[in-house]
Amino acid sequence: MTELLLQTLVNGVYAASYMALIAVGFVLIFGVMGVINFAHGELYMAGAYAVVFVYAEREFPFFVAVAAGAIFVGLIGLLMERALFRPLRDNPLGGLIVSIGFLLILQTLAVLGFGVRMEHIPPPTQQTLNVFGIEGVILPLQRLYVIVASVLLLGGLWVFLRRSKFGVALRACAQDPEAAALQGISINQAARIAMFIGAALAGVAGALTAPLVRIHPFMGHPVIITAFIIIIVGGIGSLEGAVVAAVLYAMVHTFVTTFFDGVIADIVGLLLMLLVLVIRPTGLFGIRDRA
Amino acid sequence: MRSILKRSNISRRKFLGTTATAAVLAGVSAPNLAFGAAKTVKVGFLAPLTGEVAAWGLPGLYGCRIWAEKVNAAGGLKVGGDSYQVELVPYDNEYAPDKARTGATKLIREDGVKFIMMLGGDTWPAVQPIANRTDMLVSTLLPSDLSPDTKTLIAPCEVHPIYNVTGVEWLAQNKPGLKTTVICAQDDALGRPSVATYLAAFEAEGIDVLDTVFFDLSATDFAPIMTSMLAKKPDILCLDTAYADYVHPLCEQAFLQGFKGQIISCTADFYEKIIEKTSKEFMEGFIFQFPDFDDPALNGPQINFPDPNGFYTEYNRRWPGEWGAVSWEYASILDLWRAGAEKAGSVEPTEVLSAMKAGGKGLHAFGEAEWWGKELFGIDNALVGDWPVVVIENGKAVIKEFKSIPAWWRKHGKLLVKHFDKMGEMYYQRG
Amino acid sequence: MPERVTEGGGAAARRPGTRLAGFGLLAAALVALPHFLSFSQKEIAVFLVINVLLVVSYRLLTLTGEWSLGHVVIMGVGGYASAIFSKALGVPVPLAMLAGAITAAAVAFVLAFPLFRMKGFYFLIGSFAAGEVIRLLWKRFRIPFGGPKGLKLIPSVPDLELGPITIDFFEPVSYYYLCLIVVSISVFILYRIERSRIGLTFHAIHWQDHLAESVGVSTWRYRTLAFVIASFFAGLSGALLAHYIGTVNPNRFDVGEMVFVLIWAIVGGTATIYGPVLGVVVLTIINEVVLRQLGFDQMRPLFYGAILIASILFLPQGLESLVGKARDAWARRGE
Repeated sequence: MTELLLQTLVNGVYAASYMALIAVGFVLIFGVMGVINFAHGELYMAGAYAVVFVYAEREFPFFVAVAAGAIFVGLIGLLMERALFRPLRDNPLGGLIVSIGFLLILQTLAVLGFGVRMEHIPPPTQQTLNVFGIEGVILPLQRLYVIVASVLLLGGLWVFLRRSKFGVALRACAQDPEAAALQGISINQAARIAMFIGAALAGVAGALTAPLVRIHPFMGHPVIITAFIIIIVGGIGSLEGAVVAAVLYAMVHTFVTTFFDGVIADIVGLLLMLLVLVIRPTGLFGIRDRA
Repeated sequence: MRSILKRSNISRRKFLGTTATAAVLAGVSAPNLAFGAAKTVKVGFLAPLTGEVAAWGLPGLYGCRIWAEKVNAAGGLKVGGDSYQVELVPYDNEYAPDKARTGATKLIREDGVKFIMMLGGDTWPAVQPIANRTDMLVSTLLPSDLSPDTKTLIAPCEVHPIYNVTGVEWLAQNKPGLKTTVICAQDDALGRPSVATYLAAFEAEGIDVLDTVFFDLSATDFAPIMTSMLAKKPDILCLDTAYADYVHPLCEQAFLQGFKGQIISCTADFYEKIIEKTSKEFMEGFIFQFPDFDDPALNGPQINFPDPNGFYTEYNRRWPGEWGAVSWEYASILDLWRAGAEKAGSVEPTEVLSAMKAGGKGLHAFGEAEWWGKELFGIDNALVGDWPVVVIENGKAVIKEFKSIPAWWRKHGKLLVKHFDKMGEMYYQRG
Repeated sequence: MPERVTEGGGAAARRPGTRLAGFGLLAAALVALPHFLSFSQKEIAVFLVINVLLVVSYRLLTLTGEWSLGHVVIMGVGGYASAIFSKALGVPVPLAMLAGAITAAAVAFVLAFPLFRMKGFYFLIGSFAAGEVIRLLWKRFRIPFGGPKGLKLIPSVPDLELGPITIDFFEPVSYYYLCLIVVSISVFILYRIERSRIGLTFHAIHWQDHLAESVGVSTWRYRTLAFVIASFFAGLSGALLAHYIGTVNPNRFDVGEMVFVLIWAIVGGTATIYGPVLGVVVLTIINEVVLRQLGFDQMRPLFYGAILIASILFLPQGLESLVGKARDAWARRGE
């Protein structure tokens, strides 16, 4: 029983790591640009397909493929910022709709390029570790990569936002775009950075987990719904909230899946979100005004 | 595509009775036919071609195109002294009932098709009243669509999930030491009846089912699911009718979490990729139900599928890495329909149906079969006979044996009814 | 969103004679329409008319400034309820449809208590969550909802015997006319509500909710009222759909379908009552008729996506703004 509990905990840590990568990117984009990026799940999908192309088909090393995926998806983010979201800065609903249009385009491109069926990636590593030195508690190395990358990237982002000039500008824009503009902070510049980082985080999540999940053109759909739940629980616009909520949601979901089943886990996840909405509509870390 | 639309303008105001004229017009306007005498018969393909369920339709359309090209090149259908070229008319129903209804109307009233192939599921109930009114012959891949309310819906190829009993029977006969199992399944219209079937099959063999674990279609992380399955320490892992997308990560997790026992599953599409993700030793002895069509056992005299090996080669040449169960199933249905039409001496739906069902026996892809299903579906419109048990040996899927579904049913039918009833999957229990 | 409160328009629109003639022409065109369509296009026309009611009722809710992601699930509530009333309890279909719409309104009334604690983005997500919970209930409880496969063989509208003529509502043309009548009346009612004192209050809440509160208007009450009325008509559209296609299932009312409603409303524009109608009509014709006929097959979603983006970027005020411009141009030409 102890083994089962510990194994479930390890599974939960992994789930929390990749969910946090996706949710933080989603929140960053919403915070700075005020846009609900419905295509965020498809950015995650694009990261996974980048690994299919670079690593599985062109046979470059896996981490080269992950880096390529991050940059590629980041560039897609820049394209979205420039072509879609910038002209619609005062029109958040318009931003939502164009992100849906863009999502359809990305899905169709994936279908045309790779087919409707699932893709396959040879595992970069099949090594497993015994956590806590217990034989029954296993952590595959591939999952450890995801955990480590998530901690490093999110930690790096935190430092960047607190310490660097750009980071401060970004936070200023998220809190009050007009005041930030008055102080000479370029909204365009902040939007570009937010969009690149937010998209690249989704891309990294897709790229790193590509050998672990099922890859198909519509894989982004469940992800965006999970991201919705996480940002509600965490509080819209709060990066720290997104991380905490990702951990909370992943743990609840993993434990319920293990001890009951996956369907009940989904229901519990939704109920958790509804509960937070009713009791504390702004989420655990939310700020009232950003709605 | 364009020529079809022009023709639809001509037949716009005509009613159902005039489909014969439409067929003649179609024959005249088809440019690739040099002889005015050759006729064309149209077959509708009403399945999801875009969206998330497209993987259940599109690969089947590819297979049908290969089949149609071959048959047409060989002179087409020989029906009552005439020869007919087969024209496939696809309509993307996006797995939505309203679009399926629109599609069925277009195929029947505008294109004048004589037969419609569907995936079924969510889309079938919207087509059902149309099929009932027009007596259109329709096929489905999901026999759970069958009901006594519609006489013209048939499941002539895959009678999912009944054939799963053959794998369990083979397993019990060849590996009698294995006594316990855990089943996992996605919670949907395919997963649930399949669980009922496996429960009956395991009970028939005296194998103890320790637990049944359901997961939602949106599941992405299979580690916790596998952890909870392995915690029961089963001899056998049963993956039910998990889709390929789930079979892969489930096997990978079983491998990584140190499982060493037997696995049984309905499908194992792209199994060579599973081996890549796990190991040859791990996958040795994996039992499932869908052969590769380059299997020499498919060249036997009882097989009713034209040149399976050649079909497999051609499919893989055109769509490398896309081969799966869906790839051949629609084509097989098309071939059984062709045989029915040639036997009936007519392409009219009702006549083809009665020729196909004559005497309660029919020819299935894997040999002689009987029309069956009254006890489970309320109507004998499912064609069951032998079904192959496939085992992975040395990295390659091999047909070990064709086992008889009717023989199993005669012995253990009551168990199947019991478990179907418990799961609420009997035809009279469905909404 | 543009701040036009009432239907604007040039001088031409204000002349009652011209307006009446316009409506007459429109009505004649709608009545004549099915006779110019192929069989499958008639089917599409039926679904289009049903969707017009869905999207126009959605607009009423947006008048108060709230954008819901649960409207299609509410439509489903109407469809499920009407199906259950008629199939399991034997209620005559027309009554069952009405009861379905009332059920949808009642469910909305209950949901209003938690949902209208929220505003803006929170309401958007909250309505999505509430909708998902309803869909999970449909999936989970096979009795009476039928589980993941939903309900089928839902009774259709009974034949109408008018002396020697029998009208069979299975035929798309007959059902088109039935829907046309029901939807026209509903849209007219929705229009009158918007023009009434209640409707003006909805607008006021949207733009000045604190001010409205300070003069004694209960914004909660009016938001709930808008939500309940919109849900009634959404439920009615669901019932119309259910008894035509004969089946309802949880997938048919998922967030993917909701996204289409949102798209229709925003591409059409929501400042006028005809904006969303333009959106649903134009986009349905593009997606279901034009793109299919061009034989794009798998490419269809790509072009649809591109058209969406182009329409938002180049027509941010919606298709309805074209109507206003055209009318102004016409008026100027006449001067």
